[in-house]
Amino acid sequence: MHIIDRYAYSNAIRELDPAQKGGLALIAMLFCLALDHPAVGLLTLVWMFALATLWAQVPARAFGRALLAEAPFLLLSLVGVALSVSLAPLVSPALQLGPFWIGSSAESLALATRLFTRALGCAAALNFLILTTPLLDLIELLRRLRVPETLIDLMSLTYRAIFVLLESLQRMATAQDARLGYAGPWRALRSAGLLGSQLFLDAYRRSQRLQMALESRGLAGPLRVLPLDYRRDRRARWFGAALAASLLLAGAWR
Amino acid sequence: MNKRRKRWLLVAVGAMVLLVFEARPAHAMHIMEGFLPPFWAAFWFVVTLPFWVIGLRRINRLIVEKPETRLLLGLAGAFTFVLSALKIPSVTGSSSHPTGTGLGTILFGPMVMSVLGTIVLLFQALLLAHGGLTTLGANAFSMAVVGPLVAWGIWKGLQDRAPIWLAVFLAAALANLATYVVTSAQLALAYPDATGGFVASFVKFGTIFAVTQIPLSISEGILTVLIFNALQRNAETELQTLGVLKGA
Repeated sequence: MHIIDRYAYSNAIRELDPAQKGGLALIAMLFCLALDHPAVGLLTLVWMFALATLWAQVPARAFGRALLAEAPFLLLSLVGVALSVSLAPLVSPALQLGPFWIGSSAESLALATRLFTRALGCAAALNFLILTTPLLDLIELLRRLRVPETLIDLMSLTYRAIFVLLESLQRMATAQDARLGYAGPWRALRSAGLLGSQLFLDAYRRSQRLQMALESRGLAGPLRVLPLDYRRDRRARWFGAALAASLLLAGAWR
Repeated sequence: MNKRRKRWLLVAVGAMVLLVFEARPAHAMHIMEGFLPPFWAAFWFVVTLPFWVIGLRRINRLIVEKPETRLLLGLAGAFTFVLSALKIPSVTGSSSHPTGTGLGTILFGPMVMSVLGTIVLLFQALLLAHGGLTTLGANAFSMAVVGPLVAWGIWKGLQDRAPIWLAVFLAAALANLATYVVTSAQLALAYPDATGGFVASFVKFGTIFAVTQIPLSISEGILTVLIFNALQRNAETELQTLGVLKGA
């Protein structure tokens, strides 16, 4: 998690208007989903990788690791799509396991390939967005898109509190670990339970202290923060146009 | 020809088994970005929308009545997110992450949870690259709507009828399990089996993910009982104050 957040703040296009980066990712995702073609998915992956590493200067390893986060889900569910299980003998090449027949067919393999490339392309687009845009900028983008104010408030509060709570979680876990709190599974569960309850108390008391501090400074209504000054880059528009055109071409090519 | 294909199938099945038993901590099951076709992605957004509206309305009302709810819920969202980063030992020996939906529902109520759970899911997509934006509707329906409703039903239904620890355990474990069953159904609806249709596909996805998800739900149940017991000992006043957030 810290990796993604770190590059979101330190990449070369961090100051770019989040609408431009979000627009690029959105184009990639929509074309990937709508055209649903292996070549489009792979081309999106290449595009997003290139934009993230060459334009935003995010290291290739960070991009790869973010993409790998979904590998278990992707591989397992692809197995589910590619294989059929049935009680009746299957015509296509199949394997008999007790009363079950496990088999596959050309269509389901083709579907699995399409899904694999589509999911990879879309995930790459998402990763490009989150590796180049800090979460506060994305929340600002949502605010511009007229997402209800309460939701924006809750999201920015949550984001700010996550790192504070995570730090206190890690400190408590280290203290427990130093006292052999995680020796053996049962003791580890007990420690995790204590940790969870203390974390809740910490969160609760923090919210009360924050409330008191803000009230004494006259808080009434939502927490307003000034938006940052963003840079707009003309290249983003060219990238968007080239991306859309190349994806359309790849989709037309059969 | 046929023999070679069979060998490939064996390799595929073997790889799947290896992957399932791999020691990496198991996360709750979220459908990844781009995995649902456009129709189903939109469908689940439409289905979940009313729950978001109801939840947000309730939160707005709470904030008007008690202004401190705003900060409390912000911290509660962060708490649920951080809790899902907690590594707990799983019954099978490897470790896993809880979803926190069961505990969140018991503490904050199901309607508030539909909004908080969605924020947590969004943050998991944006900070951990886990889950996705186009699949947010589907994931929110399974984890932020069905999970909390199941937890709430069990928690309320068993109150005064069963020992508290049992109610907490069942609420948390079954909320987790319901989330996984709904996700399997969502996958099966989008990708029905070529021969057996929806039912065969549902069984297929259910079995594939059962190996990680069933132990996960049991350890989440145990963990939630432990957290709840500790809270009853150490945080009685806080728990009483939270009672006002709930309501059917």
